[in-house]
Amino acid sequence: MGELVVDKHVEYILSVEKRKDSFESVVLEHLRMNGAYWGLTTLDLLGKLDALDSNEVIQWIMKCQHESGGFAGNIGHDPHLLYTLSAVQVLALFDKLNVLDADKVANYISGLQNEDGSFSGDEWGEVDSRFSYLAICCLSILHRLDKMNVEKAVNYIASCKNVDGGFGCTPGGESHAGQIFCCVGALAITGSLHHVDKDLLGWWLCERQVKSGGLNGRPEKLPDVCYSWWVLSSLIMIDRVHWINKDKLVKFILNCQDTENGGISDRPEDAVDVFHTYFGVAGLSLLEYPGLKAIDPAHALPVDVVNRIFFQK
Amino acid sequence: MREESMISKGNSLNLLDEFELILESDPLIDEVGFIHPSQFVTLNKEATSSLKHEDANFWSRDHKLAISTDVLLPLYNAAKDAFMHAISQYKRHGNLSDASGYASNLESEAMKHSKALLLLSCDFGTAWNFRKLIVSKKQKIMLFSDELLLSALVLSYSPKSEKAWCHRRWVIKMIAGKCSTLQDIAGKESELVEKIAERSKMNYRAWNHRCWLVSYMTTEQVLHELKKSRNWAGLHVADNSCFHYRTRLMLRIMEEHCHKLEDGTSDENNEIYQIWQEELDWIEALIKRYVGREALWLHRRFLSLSWIRHFTTTLGDTSNYRACKSSINGDIGIFMDNELHLANSCSTIPDNDFEDFQAQAMYSATYILWLTKQISDSQGIELPEKPNLGSLETMLNMACPERSFLWDILTRITGKCDEVLKENNC
Repeated sequence: MGELVVDKHVEYILSVEKRKDSFESVVLEHLRMNGAYWGLTTLDLLGKLDALDSNEVIQWIMKCQHESGGFAGNIGHDPHLLYTLSAVQVLALFDKLNVLDADKVANYISGLQNEDGSFSGDEWGEVDSRFSYLAICCLSILHRLDKMNVEKAVNYIASCKNVDGGFGCTPGGESHAGQIFCCVGALAITGSLHHVDKDLLGWWLCERQVKSGGLNGRPEKLPDVCYSWWVLSSLIMIDRVHWINKDKLVKFILNCQDTENGGISDRPEDAVDVFHTYFGVAGLSLLEYPGLKAIDPAHALPVDVVNRIFFQK
Repeated sequence: MREESMISKGNSLNLLDEFELILESDPLIDEVGFIHPSQFVTLNKEATSSLKHEDANFWSRDHKLAISTDVLLPLYNAAKDAFMHAISQYKRHGNLSDASGYASNLESEAMKHSKALLLLSCDFGTAWNFRKLIVSKKQKIMLFSDELLLSALVLSYSPKSEKAWCHRRWVIKMIAGKCSTLQDIAGKESELVEKIAERSKMNYRAWNHRCWLVSYMTTEQVLHELKKSRNWAGLHVADNSCFHYRTRLMLRIMEEHCHKLEDGTSDENNEIYQIWQEELDWIEALIKRYVGREALWLHRRFLSLSWIRHFTTTLGDTSNYRACKSSINGDIGIFMDNELHLANSCSTIPDNDFEDFQAQAMYSATYILWLTKQISDSQGIELPEKPNLGSLETMLNMACPERSFLWDILTRITGKCDEVLKENNC
């Protein structure tokens, strides 16, 4: 079995930003903030966050903040919870949460909570249990969970639970490993995991492991490296990670590396991208792969960063 | 790549003009795709009507539009720059009085560019948002309909576009109060999802949209959808999303039924019993015909659990179901015997090299274990007798010895059963 080609992945991540020569790379500029989070968290997990100039990143992030307090995916774009959490997470990586007006960001987030406890992603009102996670995780990092109605938020998430133990986007929506991560993460952060049937959900999540060792996100789908993160982190939060075959999963992730040019893809032999590179490395971190920093399964940040946020004044 | 970077900015603007002109000249374009220019020739052979537009960059005919992959990068850059410039102008001057027509001119420019941009970058949220802003200001049904057309067009090249589906839900919610034909819309939307699901398999976003529509449907529509989607599901037995859609419909029917029982407006169980029984029979037939399909077995888990909860009396109720207990009084023992019989008939592996049969054996064994777990977890359970865990163990051993978590679960069930039996004997 090959090893994790750490230096190649660092090189790859640093090079992604410079690529402006293909349609495929520029067409994702509206979610550059998510890209920054994926890339920089990977660098930190690999112990190489100092490979780039943090001031430049922080200045750019602050230019993406909207007057409402929310963050956009790039300069001049509209704000959304999706990008607000990524912005706050990247600032946390650099230990620069102090550049934020935390109350302003918190007001933006709590302003998106609806009467039934759910969250809209932005002012246009689309509701999704993912947005509940984004709001809860972000307010938790900012020490502002008291700004929202936690009880109602938790009840809304619980209402998205299905007979199979999983969670969907809205009540009655199909279970999906990504949605499950969001719901379980939000319940974990708010100390509400009693809403989860751990054996039942653990069962559903373990059934995501296919013959090759990789994990899929829904029944009958092909395995994909990104579910290494979503399924694994959920299993860890509900204390059932010993139920899957970890060695086979490690092998699957390592087989998705581009060992020549760096980066990780969704499946062996596919084209790499920064999204799957992050989820692959984060998955390996959860699997305690040697040489990687540990990652917190609920906040999706390195454990030392989370400790700094919660245990240091 | 080199060629693209050599296209000057002026050329890019011409490209954008050309693109927007094509879009304006045929507002009925219903499909767009990015293709290599060498494929334009093939398209010509297939088309039925006369050519509407063709050069090296675009091809348009029969309300279909193809964009050459060679021009995507400069075209996207031009569309994005034009849009971002237009909205910043609009934000600066858009609130001026409209006497000069300047503001409305800015508005239509930005709308035009946002359309071009979204046909190249389907999840460019700021462009969708701008359209929502303008359309909600005007509140004209015609304009809302245009948004449904545009998002359908975007979905034709990017069927998983989250923002396009989200835009449709926003439009539907906006017209929900004003338009008496909401049920028509729900029906048409459902058809659109089916059309897209046909081309884009296991599309979570599309099916999620269809599940969302259920809350807007009448009871008759729900029953109709259940009937209609059955055929499709039978032809796409690996598409879990379609079976989940049926779960959603059936739960909605069950919910309404329970309300009626609670209100005392009905004590009729036969209809709902029949729906469940038909679905169980149908799934059983599919399971036997299509060997080793996970989605079918998972759907059966749902069907059986809700059947046990609703139609049998020996199982203690959870509070949700107490109010709408059926009077049919099925026996849980008989039901489980039948399920065991089905599982046993599916667990023979004729040839070890044949993966589908191995999968079938695994799904049938885990299906029985899953049901047994659910029953033993239910409060106040009165087991007719200790379930035959020994034979289950044999099944698991044969089908999936490597799935260690199943053994954990089996141990827990055994422990629980022993406890219950001990208490009963005291």
